[in-house]
Amino acid sequence: MANFSATKRLLSLPASARAAFLAPTRAFSVLKRPFPNYEGHVPLNVFERGALAAGSAVMSLLNPRRGDLIAALGETTATPYFIYRLRDAMLSNPTGRRILRDRPRITSRTMSVEKLRALPDNSVGRAYVGWLDGEGVSPDTRDSVKYIDNEECAYVMQRYRESHDFYHAITGLPVFVEGEVALKAFEFANTLLPMTGLSLFAVTRMKPAERSRFWQTYLPWAISNGLKSKEVINVYWEEELERDVADLRAELGLERPPDLRETRKTLREQRKAAKEEKEKISGLTSGKPFVGS
Amino acid sequence: MTLRPTALRNLSLLLRHYPRRSYGSSTSVNPSEISHFDKLASSWWDPHGSSRLLHQMNPLRHDFISSCLDSQPDPPSTAKRRYLDVGCGGGIFAESAARLPSTESVVALDPSSEVITVAQEHARKDPLLLQPGRLEYRNYSVEDLSHPQSPKDKFDVLTLFEVIEHINKPGPFLHSCLPFVKPGGWLVLSTIARTWTSWFTTKFIAEEVVRLVPRGTHDWEKYVNEEELRRFFRGLEGWGSDGGVRCQGVVFVPGLGWRVVDGGEKLGNYFFGVRKDGGRS
Amino acid sequence: MAVGTPSRALRPYTCSSCARSLKLRSRKFATAASPDIYDVVCVGGGPTGLSLLTALRSSKATSHLRLALVESQDLDRARKWDLPPDQYSNRASSLTPSSQFFLSKIGAWPHVDTSRVQPYHHMRVWDGLSSTARIAFDSPAPEPAIAHMTENQNLTRALLARLESLEPITIFDKTSVANINLGSQPSSPASEDTSLDLSSYPHVTLSSDHTVATRLLVGADGINGPVRTFAGIRTRGWDYDRHGVVATLRLPSDFSHDPGNSRGVTAYQRFLPTGPIALLALPGSYASLVWTATSTQAAKLKSLSTEDFLAMVNAAFRLSVVDLDYMFALSSGQFDELQWRESVSSSTSKEASGDIPQAVEGVQNNSIASFPLRLRHASSYTTHRTALVGDAAHTIHPLAGQGLNMGLGDSRSLASAIEYAVIHGADIGNEMNCLDKYNSEMWMGNNRMLGAVDKLHWLYSVKNGPVIPLRGLGLRAVDALGEWGVKRWVMRQAGAL
Repeated sequence: MANFSATKRLLSLPASARAAFLAPTRAFSVLKRPFPNYEGHVPLNVFERGALAAGSAVMSLLNPRRGDLIAALGETTATPYFIYRLRDAMLSNPTGRRILRDRPRITSRTMSVEKLRALPDNSVGRAYVGWLDGEGVSPDTRDSVKYIDNEECAYVMQRYRESHDFYHAITGLPVFVEGEVALKAFEFANTLLPMTGLSLFAVTRMKPAERSRFWQTYLPWAISNGLKSKEVINVYWEEELERDVADLRAELGLERPPDLRETRKTLREQRKAAKEEKEKISGLTSGKPFVGS
Repeated sequence: MTLRPTALRNLSLLLRHYPRRSYGSSTSVNPSEISHFDKLASSWWDPHGSSRLLHQMNPLRHDFISSCLDSQPDPPSTAKRRYLDVGCGGGIFAESAARLPSTESVVALDPSSEVITVAQEHARKDPLLLQPGRLEYRNYSVEDLSHPQSPKDKFDVLTLFEVIEHINKPGPFLHSCLPFVKPGGWLVLSTIARTWTSWFTTKFIAEEVVRLVPRGTHDWEKYVNEEELRRFFRGLEGWGSDGGVRCQGVVFVPGLGWRVVDGGEKLGNYFFGVRKDGGRS
Repeated sequence: MAVGTPSRALRPYTCSSCARSLKLRSRKFATAASPDIYDVVCVGGGPTGLSLLTALRSSKATSHLRLALVESQDLDRARKWDLPPDQYSNRASSLTPSSQFFLSKIGAWPHVDTSRVQPYHHMRVWDGLSSTARIAFDSPAPEPAIAHMTENQNLTRALLARLESLEPITIFDKTSVANINLGSQPSSPASEDTSLDLSSYPHVTLSSDHTVATRLLVGADGINGPVRTFAGIRTRGWDYDRHGVVATLRLPSDFSHDPGNSRGVTAYQRFLPTGPIALLALPGSYASLVWTATSTQAAKLKSLSTEDFLAMVNAAFRLSVVDLDYMFALSSGQFDELQWRESVSSSTSKEASGDIPQAVEGVQNNSIASFPLRLRHASSYTTHRTALVGDAAHTIHPLAGQGLNMGLGDSRSLASAIEYAVIHGADIGNEMNCLDKYNSEMWMGNNRMLGAVDKLHWLYSVKNGPVIPLRGLGLRAVDALGEWGVKRWVMRQAGAL
């Protein structure tokens, strides 16, 4: 059933591509800008959008810490088709529809960190705040959407961006490159947003061991879970804070990936132990302590 | 014998070889021909049978008669018309003429008693045709019919459809028809011209190539050309003056049916009408 | 003596409910004296059957024919049909100019109450899955209109009035067909007997026990009528698993049929994946709805409150298919959903430009109805002494509004074939020189129309895949090529020019 809906989602791709094929190209010059459709909106024409997409793609690959560039890449590549598909996925779902009606925002004002810390350990809210604390980030670190023309779709993009930290929380994937890339792969399979797919180029920046772990463990997990689980964009996180994480994962049809931190820790310890062993042996032979590079 | 529609044949030619009989210059009719037509009798009214082309041609006969009547210098009489159909066969034309609201009566002749039986049997299917005096079949040839004594016993329209090409001596045969036509009435016939196209289609294609009909079915020599008919009536006193001669060629187009084609009398089938001089009083 | 088509045996028809009681009776009739003989007996007194009889009576050549009509309903109800000006029947049809010309020619149009007829000069057709793919039809001059929206009952009443102003025909109303048989074979051959032989004539026994024989039996009796059964004519086709939902709707009272365009009113049609929804203007501020929906959707529409039903209609012209599917799944609250979606993406500018219809405000009481949609086409319209017209011969998807127009076309063609036969002395029950003319004139054209409409249905029921941009391109291409006469050609195919 879950697989069926995922297949359907992929098959429906060209359908809504109508917007891509049929929307008349808006022509305006630099001197004649249309009015913004919402506060903070920056209307772009096709060429500007293309240039921005290409530029931000190159720059963010060179410097993955530039969140603003990744955001610009996400927005410029989400139209014309993909963000509409995601919006329609929300419109087809009662909760998704409710989110679009209410348009909740996840900020430090709406999400009281103190209250979240008071929740039980296994709750979604506790996991989220634990994740924020562990990574040292806050809900406010997200940029506002500005390059998506449709006002409702701009909100969908904003919601996706703000929900991203919750995805970390329920999957337990950490924020460093290896975890981030695995989560992006999951998001790509689940939301079909192109930027999430483009992020996979970051694989090239991984160490060989990480890369092989990604190909063998995390990518298969991300694709199968992303396709078979429900659309995570339709989770009303504000209402699920007290929910048991495992319970919510089960409802979404999501398996927890192997704990990356644990794995890396174990590996590190193994490496350390092996090194010590080696040192012992070399110390015995040379009688001189070895300082590793 | 039954003829099946075939793409190759010149369909107009098929009209020629079945239920019309050869009328001798005398009243005697060739007995072998009669038995030939007896066999064909049952197919007269089969809409998919060998008489299909005749059925399809029938509306054009009415159109031609109407065009003759409409061409008269004096306005056509509103009185109902009397028809004499010579060589009526199964009654394809006779029945249709009898059904017209403008018809008073139809007398239809054929020398084959089998054919007359078929015609009478078929007429039973239509209550209109059974109205007394509407349609009368007689097993006679025209030579045997006694000449009408008074003008009112004569006919407004005498028809000879697909007959004269079977006649050995058409002249005397036509002469025996003339006394039956009212002054101001019309003698209307249809036949086929003796041209190279009709020879090619009836003698060569139908008899030699396709073998649609037995050799010798058609007697091309007997076909009558339109000029010959014109010459014949020009030589007759009291016929065809004041534009009282009309002709119309027709061509069978496979898939479309019969079509009126001006000048068609030079190719094959055509209608010919001639008016007897005099008023219609 | 081969008459008719011996290969195709005529099956006697017996109404199943009467079959038992008639067993004895039919034996009695076999030996009874010869029955009433008519030239034409028409079974079915809808617009198609009535227009055929009226055409025959009003033509000089055929006015003398003996005609009879068999109709199961009480024709008095049709004669006395009268609705106040603020009520409209939910069964209305777009009469094309060719249909209207035929109705004028047979003298019926002057009897139509034209205050209840709405001509329209513009059409807007668009694809529910690609909102920019649309086509606009505008009739070139102020006249003629693309079509005239006319209530079927208005037309039926007019045809009856015209028919009854002519030489009377025999009417058997409130009468159904009990059975149809061929007459008995004559007992003796022609050589001994010259009595009437009615063995090839259909003998129709009526529920009143009366039997009439006829030279030509016309079936204007619908999709599964007794005449087609008697004639043994097969049909091919299929059910669409769709229902046509109809209703009479009310637009805002200050509504002047076409905002921003003084030349005339507009017919709107949007192709949704389940089928098209059409809103066709009636006089005043009324409009007729024809919505092709699945049977589940049709049942849902009929179960909704008035407010939610109207919201669904307005949503169907405005919202995305995603929204519409979601709203169909709700048991109530469609009105609220529509309000919210309209607040997110307003359609007021499209409404003002006339690209979509104005929002409907009300629905006439008890006017929401639905009927299953089918495609059927008889393999032939005629056999010896029988002919089928209208729905008895073909049933079409209503998306092009061609059903009634095709029926009127049949009547026109059959009446002219009969006229030709009478003028040329042919038997009007014969295929040759009469019925074959009708069949060959109408069958191929109707088959093309049925096929084209069927293909449109399947084309627009595709939800996914490259078909959608392609059909959008096609629609826009036709629209763009309007200047080159393509649109005129399309409209001519639909009988609109």
